[in-house]
Amino acid sequence: MSTTKLTLGQKDARLGFKLVLPSVIIIGLLIVYPIFYNIYLSFFNVKMNGDAFYIGFENYNNVLSDPTFWASVGTTFFFVIASTILTTLMGLMVALVMNKKFPLRGLVRSLVLLPYVAPVISTVYSWQFFFDPVNGIFMHLLVDVFHLSASRFNLIGDPQYAIWVAIIFSVWKAFPFTYLMILSRLQTIDNTLYQAAEIDGAGDIRKFWSITLPELYFVMGSIVLLRFIWNFNKFEEVYLLTDNVKVLSVYTYFKAFTGSMDLGQGSALVVIQFSLLVGLILIYVKKVLKW
Amino acid sequence: MVNKKNKVIKNIGFTLLVLLIVTFCIFPFIQMLSTSLKFSWDWGNPSLVPTEINTGAYSEILGLSEDIAVELPASVQKLLDETPNLTSAQRATIVEKYTDTSDVFPFFKYFFNSLKFSLIASLCSLIIAIFGAYSIARMKYRGQKLIQRGVLFVYMVGGILLLIPLYKITTTLGLTGSEGGTTLSLVIIYIVQTLPVCLYMLGNSFRSIPFSIEEAAFIEGYSRFQTIVRIIIPLSFSAIATVWVYSFMIAWNEYLFASVFLKSYTNMYTLPIALKALFVSKNAIWDRVSAASLLTAVPVVILFMLIQKFLSGNKSEGGVKE
Repeated sequence: MSTTKLTLGQKDARLGFKLVLPSVIIIGLLIVYPIFYNIYLSFFNVKMNGDAFYIGFENYNNVLSDPTFWASVGTTFFFVIASTILTTLMGLMVALVMNKKFPLRGLVRSLVLLPYVAPVISTVYSWQFFFDPVNGIFMHLLVDVFHLSASRFNLIGDPQYAIWVAIIFSVWKAFPFTYLMILSRLQTIDNTLYQAAEIDGAGDIRKFWSITLPELYFVMGSIVLLRFIWNFNKFEEVYLLTDNVKVLSVYTYFKAFTGSMDLGQGSALVVIQFSLLVGLILIYVKKVLKW
Repeated sequence: MVNKKNKVIKNIGFTLLVLLIVTFCIFPFIQMLSTSLKFSWDWGNPSLVPTEINTGAYSEILGLSEDIAVELPASVQKLLDETPNLTSAQRATIVEKYTDTSDVFPFFKYFFNSLKFSLIASLCSLIIAIFGAYSIARMKYRGQKLIQRGVLFVYMVGGILLLIPLYKITTTLGLTGSEGGTTLSLVIIYIVQTLPVCLYMLGNSFRSIPFSIEEAAFIEGYSRFQTIVRIIIPLSFSAIATVWVYSFMIAWNEYLFASVFLKSYTNMYTLPIALKALFVSKNAIWDRVSAASLLTAVPVVILFMLIQKFLSGNKSEGGVKE
């Protein structure tokens, strides 16, 4: 055997490496490198004409001493926590409903997927129209039908209410995914468990708490974490619906791409957001992928 | 007797719950359809059935009517009526401003722009990912585990986190200066946005194919490459179709990068940014925005309906991304 000849295993390893190489190059150049480049950029004052001057930690100082930044961190966590909880509950409820047999179930299943499938941009305007102060049905119900408010007002225009609209929209958009994941787990639960519980005299509620929920524990845990991570980075769903809800992504977008286009400070913001995200991902990898 | 009554109540409650869920899901779409067919004086009408059908929005957006007459918004008409001290020149300017047809929404132009970006990016991404995912899922070499974990990690990094560095890099390279360079940048960016999810989903699916099938192919004298093309790809057809639809959808729906990169190239606008531009362009455009929204959603909804049978039931293809 000559040493220059590769063994079959080595040959295979080479081929394997060649096959994955394009993916690695693309991800390396356009995801990994930009992440580091972004950290580098965050230490510079980037002018609109492209010039950059090293300024140390000034961008970070500016960001961290800005009360609007902290407000946006608060908004982000409020939005993410509320939308994650509500999405999961809604997904769980719908999964439980869909796990039962009823007429037209196939049709209902397709319809429930619609919010998830449709582009964000084509659904935001319908929601805006729904809450529109002049034409919207919501104000019609609130003022003219139920008399809960004396006059019509611009709900989405007011940050205090707009965040709830953003949360409801996010739930509407995301719960079909949660429901699909939970349903596919529900369908694998061994039916004999329920039969045994029935013999022991357990009612529907008891069966839910003692069998269904423990069985769903892991899948729900991973869905909650994933939803948390995804919603943490959400931009389009919030920004296109209302620019009154300044979650971190929207805040960064405004800083970096409007007005004086401060890319340096934008980078610092991204580094901060990214660090928080990495923390979340590490929890995900540790907790969920070990399961 | 009591049991039976309980059961009836339960059934009614259950049916109501299903109706509620369905209403919650489809109401925005129904409203879109309804608004797109209403005349502007009918918008405040809470009924979803238009008093009178107006197909003007569709014929305008789809370019069906030759000369387009934009209706004067009611609020503007009211303003004109209530302020008699305007000169006729001022009146004419206001009327002209609100009935201007220069910014009508050429749906098909934006549609084909979107189609171009989404098709090229999703197909490239799919082809690269099929081989990459196979390699990660089935072959052994140094660094394979690292790459596998890396994919899972970058799967969660996206959007705003990459926008600033990628924008800076492409402007530094001078790519954003020309239409061709911008197209190239955006296509590559869309490939990157969809590649991790393709790798992840396809990897999961390839792992579910029994290795004995591949072994049999090797014994028959197939090379690795032949095995991928003749065995793996046909066997995971449903997964590949699903992954392709996903990546097509990600590119089709993408707003953030398009809004920054195509800002000064109105001709290259994709549907999402064109729709946003339409919305902020003028007052009183609910019918046109609704019609355009609905038409933008149609292609991805159809694609999804086609692959839906792969999604439902017990067979979930391992995680999916939004």
